[in-house]
Amino acid sequence: MPSTAIRTARINGPGLLTIVVCALLWEVLVRGGVIQYSYLPAPTAILAGLYELLSTGQLWADTAHTLQAVIMGWAIAVATGIALGLMLGVSPMLRRYSLASIEVLRPMPGIAFVPVALLLFGFSLKTELVVIVLPALWPVLINTMGGVAGVHPRLFEVGATFRLSRASVVVKIVIPAALPSILVGLRLSLTLALVLAIVAEMVGNPTGLGYAVVRDQQALRPALMFADVIVIGILGILLNQALMQLIWWLFPAASRRTRGA
Amino acid sequence: MRAFIKRMGPLLVNLPPLRGLLPLVAFLVVWQLVQPGPSPYFPGPFEWWRATLRLAHRTDLAAAFLSTATTFLLGLALAIVFGGVMGVLIGVSAFINRALHPLLEFMRAIPPPATVPVAALLIGYNEAMKLVVIVLAALWPILLNTSAAVRQIDPLLLDVARTFRLRRADTIWRITVPSVVPALLLGIRVAIPLTIILALLVEMLTSLPGIGALMIQAQRNFQSSEVYALLVLIGLFGLIVNDAFVVIETVILRSWPPRVAGT
Repeated sequence: MPSTAIRTARINGPGLLTIVVCALLWEVLVRGGVIQYSYLPAPTAILAGLYELLSTGQLWADTAHTLQAVIMGWAIAVATGIALGLMLGVSPMLRRYSLASIEVLRPMPGIAFVPVALLLFGFSLKTELVVIVLPALWPVLINTMGGVAGVHPRLFEVGATFRLSRASVVVKIVIPAALPSILVGLRLSLTLALVLAIVAEMVGNPTGLGYAVVRDQQALRPALMFADVIVIGILGILLNQALMQLIWWLFPAASRRTRGA
Repeated sequence: MRAFIKRMGPLLVNLPPLRGLLPLVAFLVVWQLVQPGPSPYFPGPFEWWRATLRLAHRTDLAAAFLSTATTFLLGLALAIVFGGVMGVLIGVSAFINRALHPLLEFMRAIPPPATVPVAALLIGYNEAMKLVVIVLAALWPILLNTSAAVRQIDPLLLDVARTFRLRRADTIWRITVPSVVPALLLGIRVAIPLTIILALLVEMLTSLPGIGALMIQAQRNFQSSEVYALLVLIGLFGLIVNDAFVVIETVILRSWPPRVAGT
């Protein structure tokens, strides 16, 4: 079932009420001067900030940049991750001789690459891509490898019976069987890619939504800053939904087995 | 997410054979050999070692490391407490779940790094801010895993509680809490890398003392070998913490569910 459409269509009364009550309480407390934070804007002020961002067009430019970095970085990570994952999944020998290296590199916090990338590429999109690709690679690689290694041996026997070549075994048997697992990797990786793009823009390349948050913070414009953060949150939700929808269109069967993971 | 971790389980528990380190070692050796003199961008691994010694000599290394590690541990502990308690409450009550679900979904969707400037502006540049940011990020995997596990408790167990006429609080304490421990541990495993990343990011952005601050400082001074040295250090830290937690998890789960005498 196209879960996303149905889930949003069902209206959650108590859930909406909670959000409205929280926002109202926030508004009243800030306007009434009960909360003494000088930089906490009321929700209405944040909405006004959002409107200001939308009307100046700055928001669109920032969003476009971040989106571009996320999608480019994600695409590179996915292509590399699936290729390496397939190789490692198909060959137990290769796996034995490289798994420990992967396990040593994998826990490296992605953000630690920011200074290295900055040294090499300066304030550029390349810096951002390095910071996105290296960490976003792992979920795809590990899931592809795990999915391929977990393909039932009988399926390989079927391939042998049909005298399929090694290449067609991979294309016709291995990839379809590992697809649900690979798709989980793609989703994890996309979420990571957005987080890392924001990080890279905050510390490295000064453009995009990540930089917008820092810029508005340093300009002491909290309403704009909150609006930036909300836009980032919405972008994250939309990206995830778009990917789910795409997966649903392209691989309906696999997407059913992927859900909930 | 959980299927992913489950699949990782055996890989990590039976740590992969050491010969798998071969490609990494070969890569570093080639790097060193290709590198005849000091390079501004790709200093060889020996240079990293010398930079580590230099950093240690300036004595700020141990303190910075301690500061990052303390923040990491405190943040993780707070996230476990909040995430565990909220997860159980949300899982136990369908109404609380329904009421909080949309709000929590939205908060979870906000990439944690974006909360750093917000927290800095509201709370200021101090330890409390570091912890708030980290807890806000590390909370979700723990909370969601726990509440999902509460909902998947075998109904038979709850029937047993009803048969014994246990009070609601007793049911939660004796049945719900022990049943969610494995899921809680999974959540913590996901939260650990997030916690390390956030600790470093806060330090990079705010220059609060720590490894992150040292890294960004080294980068600004174009001390590339120091940058690589710190990268290796933080990588080792991540590796040790991850492996240590896998061991802890294996030990706890080996005797789970806890056997009561006489059963």
